[in-house]
Amino acid sequence: MARTATFWLRFTIATMALVGATLSFAQTGQDVAVIVHPKNTVDNLSMADLAKIFRGERQYWRSNMPVLVLLRSSGSYEREVVLRNVFHMTESQYKQYWVSKIMRAEATSPPTDLFSNGMAKEGVASIPGSIACISASDIRPGVKVVRINGHLPGEPGYPLH
Amino acid sequence: MSRHISFLIALLLAGALANAQTTSGQSEDVKALLQRIDQLEQRVAELEAGKDTSTAHLQDVKAQDAQIPTGQTVEDHLSSQMHDERSQNVRAAEPHYPSMQLHGFGDVDFSSTDERGTTSGFTLGQFVLHVASPLSKKVAYFGELSFTAQPTSYTADVERSIIRYDYNDHFKMSFGRYHTPINYWNTAYHHGLWLQTTISRPEMIRFGGRFLPVHFLGMLAEGNIPSGSLGLGYEVGLGNGRAGTISRAGDNGDVNSNRAWVGRIFARPTAVRDLQIGAAVYRDKITPIPALTGTPSFGEWISSAQIAWTHETPELISEFANVHHRNNLTGTIYNSQAYYVQLAYRLPWESRKWKPYYRFEYTHVPASEALFSVPAFEVTDLVGSTAGVRFDITDFAAFKWEYRHTKHKPTDPPVNGVFVQTAFTF
Repeated sequence: MARTATFWLRFTIATMALVGATLSFAQTGQDVAVIVHPKNTVDNLSMADLAKIFRGERQYWRSNMPVLVLLRSSGSYEREVVLRNVFHMTESQYKQYWVSKIMRAEATSPPTDLFSNGMAKEGVASIPGSIACISASDIRPGVKVVRINGHLPGEPGYPLH
Repeated sequence: MSRHISFLIALLLAGALANAQTTSGQSEDVKALLQRIDQLEQRVAELEAGKDTSTAHLQDVKAQDAQIPTGQTVEDHLSSQMHDERSQNVRAAEPHYPSMQLHGFGDVDFSSTDERGTTSGFTLGQFVLHVASPLSKKVAYFGELSFTAQPTSYTADVERSIIRYDYNDHFKMSFGRYHTPINYWNTAYHHGLWLQTTISRPEMIRFGGRFLPVHFLGMLAEGNIPSGSLGLGYEVGLGNGRAGTISRAGDNGDVNSNRAWVGRIFARPTAVRDLQIGAAVYRDKITPIPALTGTPSFGEWISSAQIAWTHETPELISEFANVHHRNNLTGTIYNSQAYYVQLAYRLPWESRKWKPYYRFEYTHVPASEALFSVPAFEVTDLVGSTAGVRFDITDFAAFKWEYRHTKHKPTDPPVNGVFVQTAFTF
């Protein structure tokens, strides 16, 4: 009897783990949208331009307005996508990169970490010059979605997912 | 038995699947919380969108919430709360001025060499404080302060103090004390030794060295040059140049009325990540103190070229510099050269913590050089090899073990040394 109970307990735990992993896998399929303030004139960015902006190598828009990069905090799906596709870095390398960059007087601070897509959306909607990455499913009015390499989220060939 | 195997396989599969989706070190709890925040935000957005449905919900909320002032409707109360939250979110996102970022760097070293007259033992490396603070959208301050152990006390030095005014990416103007943009190493790695792969800096650009001017006091213009995927950039500086003691910059005023200038151009092509190729020119007039016989001054032209690929798999840094001196009293010209090649590779095992490296360096100064051959301003020939390994014990602390074999003048015996360092940032 006890062995049967143990079996079912283990089976339940294993099933829950599998379901959790599957859900996690499902989330990774989502496209991540790049959003800017609605008045920003930028409509399209290449991946190289996006990398320069997020890595702090390009700090101003063409209108000479300072770029403010907003990034989801560590542990979020959006951050994983940005680190993997834009920075080509692990979380550790990302932290070390910014310590080095600030030490070289090339930047005063790393991108601002935000805890939620809502904070990122509200930040972008309110601060001209800001740019952020949020899940495409979280896009709401008040922000402008930028094409990446000519593609919008959901289109074939969109690179951020 | 088969049940146990099935259970084990299921767990392994689950683990593997989950592991494939997460970066090592990230907390599942944090992920879950962040997802929960997103879900709640979506719910708030839905509530905001549907006023009709929200009114019905609000009646329920009103019944439950005794804290709401009686004169105010529940809807107004929640609307006000949402507005406050939005304001807080925006405040969290927007930059604040001034907002100082402070980083510290330190290292502890052990050295043992077979050079006559030296002793082995531990030394406390430089204790370095670095500050960066935006003062407005386009103005920022950077400072670096070092404390160095001396036989009887510590000396404090302002290594860098820079105020920078940005116009855009193509033009940034700054004033202060810099690391001279005469080569790659001097601008990429500063006094915090954790930043650099090796324990020691290359001899041609070592702190306190005389071959190249490490520090520069004056003004500097820098920026990107519109060049598409080539990623060109420039730095142009005007300053005091070398002090009478040529290893130092003229911090308290120029030693003569001739300004030094430096220009550097570099490319960071987008096609090869982490690659930088550059060249620099430096012009100065040196007035040595104590004065040499006949009180000559020296015209100095330094030209340099550099390539740095800091991808880590591999890492390649190589630089060359030619120092051209003209004795203004006799008109005699001297050329001295130095170069180094450093190779490193971040090993893929054990969470990429190990990074072996090797550096070869060479310096040649003509025996007749009128300035570098004088003991007070001496720069000697060098042929040296450095081999070592770096172990990153955490993201912000590393151990380094290094063996060096150096030979200076042809008559000097070679020197072998073993060096150990732990360097960190905090």
